[in-house]
Amino acid sequence: MEKLIQAIYGGIVYGSIFGMMALGLTLIWGALRMLNLAHGSLYLVGTYIAWALVTLLKVPMVPALLIAALGTAVVGFGMQTLFLNRILGKPGWDVGSLIVGVGVGMALDQSILLIFGPRVKQMPPLIPGVYKIGRVVINYNFLVVVAVAVISLVLLSIFLSKSRHGLAIQAVSQQPDAAQLMGIPTRTVFLIVMCISAALAGLAGALLSTVYQVQRESGANAMLMALVVTIFGGLGSVKGTIWAAYLIGLLQSFLMVYLGAGTALPGVFLFMMIMLVIRPSGLFGLGEAQRL
Amino acid sequence: MIQEESFSRQSMAARIEERLKPSAVPWSRLSVVPVVIALLVSLVLPWATDLLPFGKFVLHLLILFFLWGIVVQGWNLIMGVSGIFSFAQVALFAVGAWTSGVITQQLGWSPFVAMWFGPIAATFVAVILGLPTLRLRGAYVVLLTLGFQELFRNFTTQGPNFVAGGGYGLRYVPKFPFEEWVGGDKAQFLYYYLALVFFAIATFAIWRIFYSPIGMAFRALRDSEVYAISRGVSPFRYKLFLFGFVAFFTGWAGAFYVHWYGAISPAIMLFGTTINLLAMIVIGGWGSFWGPIAGCAVLTVLPEIMRAVEQYRILLLGIVLALVAIFAPEGLFPLLLRWVRKMLGRQT
Repeated sequence: MEKLIQAIYGGIVYGSIFGMMALGLTLIWGALRMLNLAHGSLYLVGTYIAWALVTLLKVPMVPALLIAALGTAVVGFGMQTLFLNRILGKPGWDVGSLIVGVGVGMALDQSILLIFGPRVKQMPPLIPGVYKIGRVVINYNFLVVVAVAVISLVLLSIFLSKSRHGLAIQAVSQQPDAAQLMGIPTRTVFLIVMCISAALAGLAGALLSTVYQVQRESGANAMLMALVVTIFGGLGSVKGTIWAAYLIGLLQSFLMVYLGAGTALPGVFLFMMIMLVIRPSGLFGLGEAQRL
Repeated sequence: MIQEESFSRQSMAARIEERLKPSAVPWSRLSVVPVVIALLVSLVLPWATDLLPFGKFVLHLLILFFLWGIVVQGWNLIMGVSGIFSFAQVALFAVGAWTSGVITQQLGWSPFVAMWFGPIAATFVAVILGLPTLRLRGAYVVLLTLGFQELFRNFTTQGPNFVAGGGYGLRYVPKFPFEEWVGGDKAQFLYYYLALVFFAIATFAIWRIFYSPIGMAFRALRDSEVYAISRGVSPFRYKLFLFGFVAFFTGWAGAFYVHWYGAISPAIMLFGTTINLLAMIVIGGWGSFWGPIAGCAVLTVLPEIMRAVEQYRILLLGIVLALVAIFAPEGLFPLLLRWVRKMLGRQT
């Protein structure tokens, strides 16, 4: 029973965090048809901005999180305007955007290393203290992380389905050409999508820095899990991504609790490979594998 | 208008014809003189480097160039020519290295025998990996191959002790017995010649595929899959063949690496190596034959010159990679070649 509670609790925490990372990837894929390999680096940018604000400048937690999200959005804005806009809509877009992502990600990672140094850093928790159910330790900090993640996911889905800009994003993801013909400024939409996606990655990074240690490798790991979730949920599908995030989160957590921490990553990958063979377009995929 | 179009189509057909025909007799394409000169130069090269004060180091770089040259050419064939976004090439390299290394360590076989099991294992793994992967496209392939690399890295750090060596990877792998044959100093020469032979064979095989009807089929698959299928090219079969074919040479390079260094660490499968190789292909020339080789040469030598500013080098490489993808999508080497030709043309 304790193990079960532990596993479910862990699954919900992981799922919320994966969801935030993966939603950014999925939005970019949906609108821009780009696999953004710089996503992990954007996550790192958020982490380090939050860390610098909280420990060096003594800014309180909540504004620090917001500024981290905003700062990462600015980096995403720069990436879009400086690099991606120049090859947008030209023939070699899929290859080009992939390589631009790798290059920008590499440059961001390395700048972070140059500025902050290689040492692993520690971030204070959002709210200290724990609550115990039997032997299961529930960290208040984790609960806050989950709450923030869920709130931002809900706000985002309301934004996507209700607001003008959200509807524009949906239209562009479904049919870019038709959307443009209907007078939607696609370039602005792309820019908005990039900023939202970057801000989500930054927020996830800032939130997670209170859970894990602040270190350079965490970006790549977070991106890998986000990729798994995005593909699992079906690229470009928001609903599928959120479902997949919690499913993968629970799977990882159950594997960790019942079979040991070392089996989590291989188990998730194996599960995903089998799943892709059986259902190549993901959980809620839209026949994407054929269209790609 | 219509006439113009049909004319251009005809000329296109003529051009394709021209490219296809000689491949029926591949050696006729190969002009003998440059090849012989290149071979002679590379045969004499170690003796020339011996005269230099830092000759040993140059030789080391040359061997590294041959090694990564094999991997990069193969990857270019997969990614640049046929458009499969595989990110598992370093993992296949490692599969070759680990197989050969473990066989020599555990069974006590000679490296010369074990060396052949590396590429065979790599091909086998590639085919197994290719079966689910190559039916998918684009982003899905990226993820599955990245995932495989991560899985294999995980296995080599946390697997059984004869594979992982407690997290350090393989150490004290038997080297090729060159030092016993010719003594310490000249042993590196023999490594060089062996690497040269590997590189020459791999380059020839890849060149052969590159300019053959099969190579044409790959390019057709990359540019318009629907058209290729309508002309009777089965995407899955062709891709699977290519995947296995390239994995053979990649695993071969891996097996050489492990018996040359005498050790291999799981850290080789971190994203950094993959990015470095990708940079070689992109900067050299995506999808061209000589581009990746040129890129490999530049990016093997450059880091050694820029050792002092190592950290800025990676930052710079990232930015250069992004800029090349934007402003010279076909790579710097073809651009340079065209520029040189233009200059020569203007003079004559």
